[in-house]
Amino acid sequence: MNRKVTTIFTLIALLLAAACQKETATPPGNENDWVYNPTPYNLEVPAFFPLLDIPSGNPMTVQGVQLGRMLFYDPALHHEGARACASCHVQEFSFSSDPEVLPHINLAWNSAFLWDGKVQGSLEDIMLFEVKDFFKADLGRLEAHPDYPRLFYEAFGEGGITYERAAMALAQFERTMASGNSKYDQVLRQEPGVFLTDQELNGYDLFFTEEGDCFHCHGGILFTDNEFHNNALDAEPEVGLGAITGSPFDRGRFKTPTLRNIELTGPYMHDGRYATLEEVIDFYSEGLHASPTADPLMKALPMGGKHFTGEEKSALIAFLKTLTDTSYTTNPSLSSPF
Amino acid sequence: MAKVFTLFRAGLLTLALALSFGCNEEEASGSLLHLNFNHNVGAQELGLNDTWYNSAAGHPFMVERLKYYTSNFALENAAGERIVIREVHYRDVEKPDTRTFEWKDVPPGEYTALSFVFGLDEVVNVDGGLPNTTTNINMEWPLPGDQGYHYMKFEGRYDLNGSGVIKPFNLHTGATGNNQNYVDVYLPFSHPMKLSGGTWQLNLSMDLNEWLQNPNTYDFEVFGPMIMANQNAQQVLKENGGSVFSIGAVEKE
Repeated sequence: MNRKVTTIFTLIALLLAAACQKETATPPGNENDWVYNPTPYNLEVPAFFPLLDIPSGNPMTVQGVQLGRMLFYDPALHHEGARACASCHVQEFSFSSDPEVLPHINLAWNSAFLWDGKVQGSLEDIMLFEVKDFFKADLGRLEAHPDYPRLFYEAFGEGGITYERAAMALAQFERTMASGNSKYDQVLRQEPGVFLTDQELNGYDLFFTEEGDCFHCHGGILFTDNEFHNNALDAEPEVGLGAITGSPFDRGRFKTPTLRNIELTGPYMHDGRYATLEEVIDFYSEGLHASPTADPLMKALPMGGKHFTGEEKSALIAFLKTLTDTSYTTNPSLSSPF
Repeated sequence: MAKVFTLFRAGLLTLALALSFGCNEEEASGSLLHLNFNHNVGAQELGLNDTWYNSAAGHPFMVERLKYYTSNFALENAAGERIVIREVHYRDVEKPDTRTFEWKDVPPGEYTALSFVFGLDEVVNVDGGLPNTTTNINMEWPLPGDQGYHYMKFEGRYDLNGSGVIKPFNLHTGATGNNQNYVDVYLPFSHPMKLSGGTWQLNLSMDLNEWLQNPNTYDFEVFGPMIMANQNAQQVLKENGGSVFSIGAVEKE
């Protein structure tokens, strides 16, 4: 009887020891000096920006942001190593480049992504799409990398390299990509000696009244409503959001891009048909096309456009240029870590 | 036998006391009241994009978007006493999760009317008056000299006199030029609503036609697509706003 009890206790002790061993097991790669002790990241949100909803499952950490930054700039994320996120999302151009490439700026406040809204949800959702579906990332390539196994461990602990963790790291880095230091922001913050010129002020008045009526889609502190509109670009619009929803009423609806740093993110429209801001304003002034799904907010549609005067066009463009934030496009903490 | 009878009496007394406490507890507890915001156009249920409706001014119209605020909900009893909850509810017809305003812990009572503000009162309707969320930011009313938020965005297209000429309309209501323009909505119940705990569903319906016809005929063509700074149009809609809501079924779950 006593022997039996002893045997049972021994077995329990062995099981507990095994469990404890598992708890303190060597991290992947047998690197005993790897440490999982993430440091909380203090995210600075620009003044007047909306409350930021950070998923509880992906808290911001210094290690996570740094890993995301590396993945953003490293072609190793691509299944053939052909390109990095930064190949198309170029900092100098507010993390944009080609016509179809929407700028990466203040994406943390977005909930619908890509021109046609193919991905909706959180930054983690869009980044998972980018990693898994768009880049078709080869996890083996990352696992064989001299640094990434350790960097993933330091950011997320045990569990190795996964698509989800790569997306989480990228989402953390993207949350640091906040632009709120344009001339317009400085005026809002009433910084000494910063004022809008008369022309910029005229542009502001046009922008934020129904005379110009830009604000209904491009308004608020983010200069986008994060919704989808058919802005009367074509009489026979491309499918747009309709390709995702299957609804004929969504034909021609595309995501409203932010106007922050718009000066740097040409060419314009989802297909890049306009090379300059002047061409864009000309379109809203004289170039609207009726179609069954043209947005009611295109109030001047029956007249073909707003018919701005030359002065008004210049004023609008002058105001748009006050949204340029070069501290964002030169921010060293957003630049390549390599 | 006497002992059994005594025990039986004691049992009954305990049961009665327990039931009594149970009832008291229910009477004393507040109710959860769900105000459900539904929409119709005349006799038809509202459908976005796909349905054309007749308007009093003679222009068939369809609806693409409908977003609005209601606030300052109050229940009134026969003595005219009111309980008020100074909260704001945002409704976007495209987002089902905005259908219901949850009013928690409504005190027990016999209520004869519901009232609320359509839009926002002057206390809330100032720049930054609502929490700084992307939803509220999209409802801002940024006209220089004005303040606050759109009370309503009711947007669509109309067919000019049924001629096939399609034009946009945007019934954007809000405060402009020192006119607050919010609407006090007062809805008496056909039978008193006796709340005594539990969860209640109170169905409200907004008839969009009422914005266009009662007591004033609102003509899209007369006021045009831009009415934010047009107080005449705002006034017509304010006057029509008193009759747009009605109370439907009131049910306890």
